[in-house]
Amino acid sequence: MGHGRSEPQSCRATELQGAGGRDGTGRGARGKEDGASGDGGGMSTIVDARGLACPQPVIRTRKALQAGGAVTTIVDSEISRQNVTRMAEKAGYRVLVERREDGIYLDIRQPETPGLPSGAPAAVAPAGGTLVLLVSSETMGRGDEPLGGILIRGFFHALGEVQPLPDIIIFLNSGVKLAAAGSPVLDDLRALAERGVAILSCGTCLGHFGLKEQCAVGEISNMYAIAETLLGAGKVVNL
Amino acid sequence: MSGGEYAVILVHSTSHAMHLEKLLGRRGIPCKMIPVPRQISSDCGVCIRIPRVHAGAARETVETAGIEIQKIVDV
Repeated sequence: MGHGRSEPQSCRATELQGAGGRDGTGRGARGKEDGASGDGGGMSTIVDARGLACPQPVIRTRKALQAGGAVTTIVDSEISRQNVTRMAEKAGYRVLVERREDGIYLDIRQPETPGLPSGAPAAVAPAGGTLVLLVSSETMGRGDEPLGGILIRGFFHALGEVQPLPDIIIFLNSGVKLAAAGSPVLDDLRALAERGVAILSCGTCLGHFGLKEQCAVGEISNMYAIAETLLGAGKVVNL
Repeated sequence: MSGGEYAVILVHSTSHAMHLEKLLGRRGIPCKMIPVPRQISSDCGVCIRIPRVHAGAARETVETAGIEIQKIVDV
């Protein structure tokens, strides 16, 4: 079907900024967007997001979920799979992944838990109380760059030894360099990730620094997921 | 910082720490710049952590290079 091409550069800043106006382009290229199918044991809205640039797969999936019912989103890149899955799971959905020759199929449904409302969750936000650490720079503090580099290294080392652990660490702007190959804090971040800390790096920022392929820990995210995470957090610590 | 696996080299300033880290790295001694552990006091807030088995080689490197350090402490 020619959809197999992965799109490692699909999260470029220009695409993210232009997201609002690109709906029609992607839709025109795809024939079966938002159709309904009995696939997977129940009526499911199909969102064919193959070939679409980030964050379109997330936006379209969210729209379909807000309309209610189960959704099957088809993507053709690992980054899109991660972003859609993360958004859906944060919103309380269960995501089943099936890899087929023509794409990655994400079956997104409400968990069958008694007591949950039958409609889609009203907002895509994590539960309150989430502690989020926002790292917007590769150094800590202002005044002296080398000192800031030492301090940030010390900070991430200390983070492994103190409580409470953040639930999520978001890297923005030059902060993404800390999560990229060659970072002096990579081992600390990997240890944190193994302990369950979610690490998100801004895809636009990685692209800006030419590090999209160098992200070495956690996941590449986009501004929608980052904004949702910040707004839905119980507490944000901004470095 | 557990199990006595490491030693830390205490220095007098951050610039000493940076210099020492580069030097040890060039000698192939695995090291990491970390905040000085809470139980230790130091002139400087950062120190260089090394695996304890490399303490001898590190001391030798320090002496050869003439770098002034406070001390090397097992942690």
